[in-house]
Amino acid sequence: MPNASSGTPSGRPTTARVARFAGLLALVAVVLLFPSLAPDPFVLSVGVVILSYAVLATSWNLVGGFTGYISLGHAAYSGLGGYATALLVLRTGLDPWLALVAGGLIVAVIAVPVGVASLRVRGASFVIVSIALVLILQLTFQSWHTFTGGSGGLRVPRPFGPEVLRPEQHERFFYLHAVLLALALLTWWVIERSRLGAGLKAIREDEDKAQALGVPTFAYKLTALVVSAFFTALGGGLYALWFGYLDPIFQFSILVGTYMVLMALLGGVRSLFGPLLGAVVVGYAVEVFKSQYGDTQFHLVATGILLGLVVLFMPDGVIPALTSLVHRRRRAASIREVSAAELAEQRDGRQRDGRQRDGRQRDGRQRDGRQREETAR
Amino acid sequence: MTGALFAQSLVLGILLGGLYALLAAGLTLYFGVMRVVMIAHSAFLILAAYLAWYFHERSGLDPLLSLVITVPLFFVIGYGMQRFLVSRLRPISLTTMSVLLTFAVALTIEGLLGFVWTGTQRRVQLPYSGTSIEVAGVSVAVVKLIAFALAAVSLAALYLILRKTSFGRALRATTQHPEAARLIGIDTDRVAGLGFGLGLATAAIGGTALALDYTIYPSLHWHWIGPLMAIIVVGGLGSIPGAAIAALLLGVAASLLQVPLGTTWAQTVFYLALFVTLMIRPQGFFGGRLAQRF
Repeated sequence: MPNASSGTPSGRPTTARVARFAGLLALVAVVLLFPSLAPDPFVLSVGVVILSYAVLATSWNLVGGFTGYISLGHAAYSGLGGYATALLVLRTGLDPWLALVAGGLIVAVIAVPVGVASLRVRGASFVIVSIALVLILQLTFQSWHTFTGGSGGLRVPRPFGPEVLRPEQHERFFYLHAVLLALALLTWWVIERSRLGAGLKAIREDEDKAQALGVPTFAYKLTALVVSAFFTALGGGLYALWFGYLDPIFQFSILVGTYMVLMALLGGVRSLFGPLLGAVVVGYAVEVFKSQYGDTQFHLVATGILLGLVVLFMPDGVIPALTSLVHRRRRAASIREVSAAELAEQRDGRQRDGRQRDGRQRDGRQRDGRQREETAR
Repeated sequence: MTGALFAQSLVLGILLGGLYALLAAGLTLYFGVMRVVMIAHSAFLILAAYLAWYFHERSGLDPLLSLVITVPLFFVIGYGMQRFLVSRLRPISLTTMSVLLTFAVALTIEGLLGFVWTGTQRRVQLPYSGTSIEVAGVSVAVVKLIAFALAAVSLAALYLILRKTSFGRALRATTQHPEAARLIGIDTDRVAGLGFGLGLATAAIGGTALALDYTIYPSLHWHWIGPLMAIIVVGGLGSIPGAAIAALLLGVAASLLQVPLGTTWAQTVFYLALFVTLMIRPQGFFGGRLAQRF
């Protein structure tokens, strides 16, 4: 049986590593060169929007990808981050960059009670709370005129002086977003390799078993949510500083939260660069859609149908779908992660084969249930 | 607050709570039979309201008559949705993925409504739209009474179906323990499909009632799904009596708070109740064993 851990210098792991390193270099190069390659400021601004989406989707994936708890209301954290940054700059006169970080921390603190309320039970309540949070924040920020500017919106002062022209602004914010994205990706990478990451993934696959094995499930889930909220808030705050204007309808929009989920899911929630890939595809599509058809209701239909198709036919995303194609062609040799869903599929498949062959059940886990069912018949 | 104003708000709260109760019963029914959080419930509600409005615009007949079409139609759509969409999802991640799937359906419906009938606000104008009845100093609009009656009758019918028919027994068995239900020969897939149809039928009735009394627009469903989800969590996921009781209580609370706080802030009572419930009793106040795990 081939096994990568035996350490045979087959050369395959090294090629994979070289390929991965080259891919990373290419990615960095594309990001670094994009502003000088962009033909006009509009394209550059689209690049900023896509990077911002990538930050949000990657931050979302810190909780969604690791724990499998789907938050449809992450726009709450990005919106709060934007407002916190703007209000700190406007009311206290804090330096915009300090305000950005302080805003992120404030939102992380706000995420704690939200997590305590929604994470003690399983996925369903979490989703419900996440949607409710966006709806309640939209309500309050629209009506609380004296503090948030209400539905009229809030103008955010620009962090750079008037001597910095618009294309220059775009370029600077492009790089700032790239730095934030790199930080979010790095955090994901570090967590994935840590004990925390192993525990979170165990929760994703089977929370009961994880708990039985002694994983402090609640504390881990809460940590993931708070870290995710922190990065999402930074993403929202940076976007607010760039865009210069906040409107509760768009800040606390269900649709923005949906985009985050769609991007992460499309790219693949289990992979580091999945959400980034999804953000490039979906973000580009959204921007093209807006410039071609304007703000019609049609983008809702398109988003809805795309989300439905991804959920039904590609729940693991593009990257896993492609890698599994590659793996199928040349039989994965190394020990790889297998999801609980894959295991269940394998088990069912084997069971079906077994029953066809000799009618006897071979798999231990479901044997009892099956037998009872058979005697009942 | 004067006594008359209090009585007025109380009555309005009960009337609104009745409608909430019917809709929340449908929402908690899906969760019971399928462990599905059906985000599209309120989108179908608005769709039914639009169909009632369109029916009235075209035929000039009373929008209540559109129930004859929408209830069977929604029942079939619900059955099809469960059998052809929800059941395709992997059982292991059903709860979370079904949220996304029904969410996608909700977005599509909202977009199509805006596409077909534009974002313009619509309202059904009826000869009895403005009339109200006055009883003991409390004046109640006739349309609100009709909506409440509709909700109460449907809720009673739902209760009778679940309690007295063999299908209802099968459905409750499926809710309580799907595997055991399969063992005693219940076709749980079929029952789940029919349960879904039943849930969506409540949206058809609720939507028609809504069209009588409210101005409708495509994105209105977000204002309904939030409170409805809060209600089913407070009542305990999967518990129909719990949903009905929580709906009435919160409907009355929102209506009473509306007087000192205004509509927008009164709406937050639902979310506050959701938050408090999850803090002190995450399984809800009337939920059974089922709710503890979700």
